[in-house]
Amino acid sequence: MQSSLLRFIDVLRSHALPISPAETLDAAAAMDLVGYGDRQMLRDALAVTLAKSAREEETFRSCFDRFFDQQASDFSDVGDREGSEGSAAQDLEQESPGQQRAEADGNGESPGGGAGSADAGSTDEQRLQAAAGDSPALRDLLEGDLLPALLENQRGTLSAALRRAAAEAELERIKLFTQKGQFTRRILDALGDGDLRDAVLELEKNNSPALPTLRRYRDILRGQVRDFVEQQYLLHAEGRNDAFMDDILSQTRLANIDRRHVDRVRRQVRRMARKLASRHSSRRRRVTRGQLHMSKTLRSGIAHDGVLFQTHWRARKRDKAQVMAICDVSGSVAAYAGFLLMFLYSLQDVLPRMRSFAFSHHLGEISQLFEEEPLERAIELANWRFGGATDYGGSLRDFSRLALDDINRSTSVIILGDARNNRGDPELDIMHSIYQRSKQVLWLNPEPRQAWGTGDSEMPRYQSACNYSAPCGNLQQLERVVDQLLKSLR
Amino acid sequence: MDKREELASAKAIETGFAQRGYICSPKIATAVFLAAKLRKPVLVEGPPGVGKTELAKTAAALLELPLVRLQCYEGLDEAKALYEWKYGKQLLYTQVLKEKLGDLLQGAQGLAESVERLHQFGDIFYSEEFLEPRPLLQALRQKDGAVLLIDEIDKSDYEFESLLLEILSDYQVSIPEIGTVRASSIPLVFLTSNNTRDVSDALKRRCLHLHIPFPSVELEERIIASRVPEVDDSLRHQLVNFVHAVRELDLRKLPAVSETIDWARSLLLLHASELDRELLEDTLNVLLKFEQDIETATSELPTLLRESLDEKRAAR
Repeated sequence: MQSSLLRFIDVLRSHALPISPAETLDAAAAMDLVGYGDRQMLRDALAVTLAKSAREEETFRSCFDRFFDQQASDFSDVGDREGSEGSAAQDLEQESPGQQRAEADGNGESPGGGAGSADAGSTDEQRLQAAAGDSPALRDLLEGDLLPALLENQRGTLSAALRRAAAEAELERIKLFTQKGQFTRRILDALGDGDLRDAVLELEKNNSPALPTLRRYRDILRGQVRDFVEQQYLLHAEGRNDAFMDDILSQTRLANIDRRHVDRVRRQVRRMARKLASRHSSRRRRVTRGQLHMSKTLRSGIAHDGVLFQTHWRARKRDKAQVMAICDVSGSVAAYAGFLLMFLYSLQDVLPRMRSFAFSHHLGEISQLFEEEPLERAIELANWRFGGATDYGGSLRDFSRLALDDINRSTSVIILGDARNNRGDPELDIMHSIYQRSKQVLWLNPEPRQAWGTGDSEMPRYQSACNYSAPCGNLQQLERVVDQLLKSLR
Repeated sequence: MDKREELASAKAIETGFAQRGYICSPKIATAVFLAAKLRKPVLVEGPPGVGKTELAKTAAALLELPLVRLQCYEGLDEAKALYEWKYGKQLLYTQVLKEKLGDLLQGAQGLAESVERLHQFGDIFYSEEFLEPRPLLQALRQKDGAVLLIDEIDKSDYEFESLLLEILSDYQVSIPEIGTVRASSIPLVFLTSNNTRDVSDALKRRCLHLHIPFPSVELEERIIASRVPEVDDSLRHQLVNFVHAVRELDLRKLPAVSETIDWARSLLLLHASELDRELLEDTLNVLLKFEQDIETATSELPTLLRESLDEKRAAR
């Protein structure tokens, strides 16, 4: 039973539930307490100990159903031994073969599914027995374990054999959907499908009337194995594949990310933002004003014979950090701007005062736009409104007119762009006045560092007016930069 | 605590709660059962008004233990949550004892001997007598155990969460001047959160996690039947169905169980026997708390009403 739990926890982990060893112990203890008799209660108990948020609970539920449905027979054994209530165990037992039967039905006629169709089963058997005279392979089969089990529909024997074969083939290591066929074949071979194949060939040669019957049983077996592999794939590999994809995507250049992966990246951005937000919750700074902290003042006064030398104050002032993001939305950089803004707007809780500007040919404020429109649409609109040949000089002039007066020592300015100015006037003076007024200027450049300064790139000159400049080609780099930003805002 | 028969099984808890007017799903009962047996705190999450705080109160009533409640808010610190020294008393005593000092030091030869004598008295000012226990320490000091409710943990600061870690995992508090205070009997701890921010992983790991969603129609009807028994069956069915239909709408604040109960009470006061449009328009403000939401719901009223009445017919 313990090993079932451990395997289940392994499955949960592969679905990105972070389960610590301490929680595993809790789950084991909870399992001992509630017993295995009541499936509902077992599920609740494990959910309470293993899933730590509403989102995780959803994942947990789907994994639980998938995992324990196929574990059904393991469970019914234990349920019997425990002898407690047993109802749920029976439920499980009934559920599992029911499912198998449904699958079998899907593959054609039922091979004598219940007691009612026992006649049909015996005729099948008789037919095969009759044909066995001409075919030594079939005779061997009928004397073996597999075919009689199939004929009599001994689900216990079959599913035990199936599980044994799966364990031999190390099915739990399945990673990619392309491996499904390979694993199905390996398991079939281990079950003795080879002999079945030989027998079918022999019957074909003899043109035996029993051929369709034997073929049907072969198909049933194959269907079962295929379904089993499919289930296991969903259980073991789906979550891992997700993590794998996320990993790859976070290292891919953002401009190269395929349209169909955008949703996934967006989810990932949100997850990263949540992580950053919880790491950089609002910090408070002690100030020397406001209401007197009486008890604290008294406490420190005791050392001086009750004379209140040192005063302490109750109020703490929240750092009012302001962030201004200036994004190039021209074609080449627009994708990056989208992700950066998505990131910053997912951090609303941590960055309460945020203004954003977009530019290409000229510059304008888009804070309002982002409040009213969904992200993609807003970026599209911004692109349309300010598009044209990129003009950094003109855009900086626009910016200084719009917002330079609002920049003070608590303002962080983030500029995202490739600094390719089409050989226009870079207006470095304005950059320097922004630099001097603000707390910090960060420049994010989607181009790799080697490309900075080549051609019409003004990056080296602008860099002289930045506290920090970094490439932000992929999500990982972006996360690092935003992390840096939040750290500096403390 | 775990010997009490009230907590013998999840079923017993469910019936015990029901007797005290708290109708809960088996899941909630299982969580409380595990919390008592595994001696772990429960982190209760869910939308406001589904009975998170009520759960702790009912558990205290069921176990006949005192409920110690700590309401969290921004800026809550250990002086308000854990303990505080009685500074006034300390100050007063120093003043009073100053005169005694002369007697005490009489006959002492030189400074060294005087200090030696003073050392014999130890740190009397930092002893239990001068300690003012706050909710967390109070809960640990209850002889027969207690139910500790840490309400709206998401409103507190991150620093405060770290403060809780020692208490929640080992049921002890370290006071630098005195030492470690252990719980005389381990309290049953509930933490509630409205999810205004994510609670830290370290805290989550130490707790069992219970998410209470809005109840199903059937469960909510049982809750109303238990809380407002005077409402007759058909009206109850209608009003619960109506509330469930309203929850499907796109609203700023969805009506919770507490609002359903309030609404049922007000319908009772108005002697209503069946829902109709006029009645709904008059009483919708009990159910919905934002003007905007009331407008949205009013425009949908005919559909909502039809749905809740239809289901009634289907149920018959």
